[in-house]
Amino acid sequence: MIPETSPSDHDHDHDHAHDDHAPVVEGRPGYYDMMETAVRELFIEKGLITAGDIRRQIEVLDSRSPALGAAVVAKAWTDAAFRSRLLENGRRACEELGISFYDDTDLIVLENTETVHNLIVCTLCSCYPRPVLGLPPDWYKLKPYRSRAVVEPRKVLAEFGTVIPEDVEIRVSDSTATVRFLVLPCRPEGTDGWSEDRLASLVTRDAMIGVIPVTLPQEASR
Amino acid sequence: MSIPDFVTRLPNDIGGLDAGPFQRVEHPLEPWEKRCHALADVLDLRKVINTEEKRKGVEALGEGLIAKLPYYERWIVTFANIAFTKHFFTPTELADKMTEVEARFTGELA
Repeated sequence: MIPETSPSDHDHDHDHAHDDHAPVVEGRPGYYDMMETAVRELFIEKGLITAGDIRRQIEVLDSRSPALGAAVVAKAWTDAAFRSRLLENGRRACEELGISFYDDTDLIVLENTETVHNLIVCTLCSCYPRPVLGLPPDWYKLKPYRSRAVVEPRKVLAEFGTVIPEDVEIRVSDSTATVRFLVLPCRPEGTDGWSEDRLASLVTRDAMIGVIPVTLPQEASR
Repeated sequence: MSIPDFVTRLPNDIGGLDAGPFQRVEHPLEPWEKRCHALADVLDLRKVINTEEKRKGVEALGEGLIAKLPYYERWIVTFANIAFTKHFFTPTELADKMTEVEARFTGELA
């Protein structure tokens, strides 16, 4: 049940989602903002979690970004043995690089090749390889991407400007609460001899979701 | 949604359904949204409420509420509902705590 103290600024009846006008009242937090504080404090008072747990987890969240995933990809491009270990067990290989998994999830790394292009989605909600990429973008959590990626991936990819040749198979992997995916994109041509750091600078979040390829800077601006 | 779909699909089960045009939207998290995310992670880590329980709890809000509440608003309402059903705390305790939290800000502004 929702507590009866209904938010006065939200009791109007309409159909659109509220993402576009979360109530911001200067100096006073919104209803759900206060509800988060109330719920969190009750869990703490009941001894189920501690304030320190929350503080530490906020630090963990702040420490995660696509830069971690990019480092993993660059390492896989330059170190064949690491690449095999990564494809064998994504989580263990990431942990080898010092990336801890704070959630109870497995990581399956999907390798793009000349004949296969991978795309990740979570049709049921918003499962995402957060330990290596940070939090997902809003579009990943919204209905159009979740519902369409699994039935018309070519069309969805085209909306990102990504055209996959007809003879390349597209594999869409649907994440769950305990199994997460990361795309290992194709290494772009013309990067022979590049250092890991330089390679990592090319790898973007969207490429590791599989909605765009990794390109050289001049290709992207073409 | 057709009638057979309505009875065979729960609200989160939207893979393959028709959906509107894709919009590439993103926003940086509000401070309370980040706290809510941290709360979700900690509840999972401490084996209080796991990720799948949370997902099912969101689904149990029903299609109407899911459509009206944004993402983290759904989560926090769900955590409260699960806390009631698992007897972690009662609706009255939450209502009292909400009043207390609200009073902190009213006091500040007065």
